[in-house]
Amino acid sequence: MSGSMTSDPRHATAPTAARWLVAASLLLLSACGAKQVVVQGKFPQPLMSRQPVTLGVFYPEEFRNHEFFDEAKGRNDSDWLVKTGEAQVAMWNTLLDGMFADVVFLEAAPDATTEIPDVDAILIPRVDELQYAIPTHTNIKVYEIWMRYAFDLNAPDGTAIAQWTMTAYGKTPTAFLQSDEAAVNLAAVVALRDAGAHFATLFPTVPDIADWLQSRNQTLAAGNTP
Amino acid sequence: MKKHLLVSLTLAATGLLGGCVTSTVDEMVFNTPTLENMEDASVVILGRRHASDYETEPDFIKCVGDHVRRGNGSVEIIGELEFMNALYPWFEPRTAPLRPADIDRLLLQPPVADKLAELKTEYMIWIDGSTVQTNASGSMSCGVGPGGAGCFGFGTWGNDSDYEATIWDFTDKAEVGRVSTSTSGQSYMPAVVVPIPIIAPVKGTACDSLGDQLLQFLSSGY
Repeated sequence: MSGSMTSDPRHATAPTAARWLVAASLLLLSACGAKQVVVQGKFPQPLMSRQPVTLGVFYPEEFRNHEFFDEAKGRNDSDWLVKTGEAQVAMWNTLLDGMFADVVFLEAAPDATTEIPDVDAILIPRVDELQYAIPTHTNIKVYEIWMRYAFDLNAPDGTAIAQWTMTAYGKTPTAFLQSDEAAVNLAAVVALRDAGAHFATLFPTVPDIADWLQSRNQTLAAGNTP
Repeated sequence: MKKHLLVSLTLAATGLLGGCVTSTVDEMVFNTPTLENMEDASVVILGRRHASDYETEPDFIKCVGDHVRRGNGSVEIIGELEFMNALYPWFEPRTAPLRPADIDRLLLQPPVADKLAELKTEYMIWIDGSTVQTNASGSMSCGVGPGGAGCFGFGTWGNDSDYEATIWDFTDKAEVGRVSTSTSGQSYMPAVVVPIPIIAPVKGTACDSLGDQLLQFLSSGY
């Protein structure tokens, strides 16, 4: 097996030395294969006063198993498969648990004809779009993940309370001896943390939700069941 | 013989090219800490990450924290991730306070106020900046064949570090100090069969410079 490589240090990164050293011995033997990332991370509970709401949550199948596939654009590129479903569920479970007085996770999709008992509202999240960028795409030494979520908040009888969208963004700089996969995973975890932060701060300010919470609080203050 | 020659060349190159780092502490403006005993308080060092084109590296924040901790064991430094997790989601890039006055907004929330009191946070130090590569030149060719593998060539590149630390006093809800450091250095990589990296410790020098100034601040009250 033989081959040769000439590299231009103009595009070298801070850990250029390590990169060159590794490249000198290994690069010729490497091949561009599909890269897969199953996003894994730990997510903290939010530190906030819980909303006095019993929230039903339903994760659609495509949310629970959310993944993103990007086909290689050229010979020097790789296919990318980024699976975020497991981490999405872990993050949202932890977040919602810390945001609301009680959370009920629903196994089946809410049916408009059947009222879900014992919950005040039902939240259905979706990932509408995910984009990623790695240094080989952009020449910027940062790995990025961007997501757009869409949420439905429905009453137990299925009528809509609010619908809104929200973006989340995570980036991480290139790091010494960090693989593309590890960096994308870290960027995804940062994006998920950002999603949690954005949701936690945005939720009470969405106009329809603010109205709903206000009317609920007034009803509760009056001693009635909402 | 060949091995000895290579080692000699390496040592000569290291001797000639090592230590190519210059560091400048641009500013050192701060009020003397009012706190007489840091043993009853803690300090948190956080990186700014709201810029679109760079972010302050977590390893740099850890390096500065370790430097301060090594220099003065009585200063309790809370780890960045530990602090961010404990106060999630209020110190994420999207939600982090940008001005000392924003702390009041955070303290309106009882769980946040309780947690900050529990952590005894006296000073919050925000570090903003990054290390970037500047000029680079040279080329290197590597080959693998039945008889072995090797490289030949020469590469050189520079790194610039620019960091600024802003110190907030949690009791007074005010900025009490600002320190910045600029460091630059040139690294070299000659390759005769084996590439020999001669790395300028730019980021490490910036960490030491900033750490020394922060240490001076945190130790000056008593």
